[in-house]
Amino acid sequence: MKLSLTRQALVLAALSLLPAVGEAIYFRGKISWQSPIPPSEMVSVDQARAWGGNVIWVDARPDAEFARDHVPGAVSLNEDRWNELLPQFLAAWSPGKKVVVYCSTESCDLAREAAERLRKEAQIPEVFVLEGGWEAWLKKNR
Amino acid sequence: MKRRILAFILSITVCFGARADLKFDKSEIELHPTPADKQAVGHFTYQNTGKTPVKFKSVKASCGCTAAQTQKDEVKPGEKGEVTATFNIGDRNGTQVKTVTVETDDATNPRTVLTLRTIIPQLLEVSPTFVFWKQGEKPDPKAITVKVGKEFTVNHIKVTSSTQDFQTKVEEAGKGEFKIDVQPKDTNSNLGTTLTIQPEDSPKVFYATARVTGAPPAPMAPADQKAPAGQAAPVAPTDQKAPLGKAAPVGQTH
Amino acid sequence: MRAVENLSTISYRPPTERQFVWRIVDFVVAGIFIYAGALKMLDPVQFAHDTKNYQILPWTVSVALAFYLPWLEMFCGFGLIFRFFYRGAISILTVLIAVFTLATAAAKVRGLDITCGCFGHASQHWSFPAHLATNLGILAALLALWFSNRLARRM
Repeated sequence: MKLSLTRQALVLAALSLLPAVGEAIYFRGKISWQSPIPPSEMVSVDQARAWGGNVIWVDARPDAEFARDHVPGAVSLNEDRWNELLPQFLAAWSPGKKVVVYCSTESCDLAREAAERLRKEAQIPEVFVLEGGWEAWLKKNR
Repeated sequence: MKRRILAFILSITVCFGARADLKFDKSEIELHPTPADKQAVGHFTYQNTGKTPVKFKSVKASCGCTAAQTQKDEVKPGEKGEVTATFNIGDRNGTQVKTVTVETDDATNPRTVLTLRTIIPQLLEVSPTFVFWKQGEKPDPKAITVKVGKEFTVNHIKVTSSTQDFQTKVEEAGKGEFKIDVQPKDTNSNLGTTLTIQPEDSPKVFYATARVTGAPPAPMAPADQKAPAGQAAPVAPTDQKAPLGKAAPVGQTH
Repeated sequence: MRAVENLSTISYRPPTERQFVWRIVDFVVAGIFIYAGALKMLDPVQFAHDTKNYQILPWTVSVALAFYLPWLEMFCGFGLIFRFFYRGAISILTVLIAVFTLATAAAKVRGLDITCGCFGHASQHWSFPAHLATNLGILAALLALWFSNRLARRM
């Protein structure tokens, strides 16, 4: 019995759902359904503050924004002057320290890209992106 | 019915005929700078094909790394011009896509987005860019791999250390790869160096960092319970632009 | 006489040249979608990010589509090759490519930094005209298959 076009499409759509669900289960640790940044790579202001002095704050915004205001003690590290700024960050880092990178807003990609470069190029472990970015920090601290 | 359709088409044609019309030859430009280039410049040429002048209201780039400007504030009918977008490559790599939004008083097309796509060639890929030893750890050499980009040929690289506390040895691993062995003289104290990696016949310089690092130092500020997290790193004061190991030419990437 | 003639020709008809050409188009289009689907299926995290860059859908929907769309593309591609649920497969693929093309054009108009098209992150270096031309070419092939299939059913 030949199925109508609509039924054929529905059967194909349903068939595709099964392996898709399987894949979603397989990748559940590598992707967050709530945020573009995996849960293992994101941290809230409260969580970062709970780490106390064991945190290095990294400001991924351009120089002018950093100069205007930033998290006290934060290190500036942006792609405009990555090679120049990286050594001072590395001098501040030591094994066991957690790195929290932030930029202007949650949707801003500068922090994610800087964090990615620190993980891939410098192979620094425990690098996190601040949930909510600079604005979230301001809300909690000012 | 046919008459109504014709009248509709005619009315649209008349409306189009009376408007200003700033037409860009290309709204997307792809640039391929050389490794030595510090900037990539895109020229977006346009012409006013309409019958009334067009005034620019604003020309804004999507990021601070790109500067955009027009040659003139007003474009008369028939006149040509260009919007120049200058992208500062900085220390970026890979494909960078930046946009320039042009706003005019043209009622039919008040906003145009121009895209500048810059493919930054990776002459060398250094991995990792940071190697470290803990204090007290055996000062064995650690390796940094340098891969030459597929479209380039580099036969020799020169590696210099900013301090004499670290020794380097370069070996050619073949197939466009080099291996740099880095070794500290000892791991009894915090030491650091910036390795400058320069391919032959190229002004472009690459960097890696090697450090002997201890436990996190005690915070200097006595009232650190009031200070937010981050102040326990006194070796990197926030307004210091020069890196530690200042002898390294780290600002000179070209 | 005519009825007897018709009965004798029903048993077997060798494929005509025209049908052979359409089968080649089937295989080419199917191959494109299976390849594209496989690329995206292997890295759904990156595909989810690429979809997010279009800024049309919320992140949760982008993730759901990142897992689902590659499999849909592959199943429909196999449907074209092995001719199971053939018309359903063509319809789905036509809708997919049409939506993809519209989304790409919309992103372009909005000046978004998108680096994906049919082939996920593998096509990140493609310019907008290249994306558009590829998508329109695939759409044209699918529409041609659709109409050839409809005509064949009428005969």
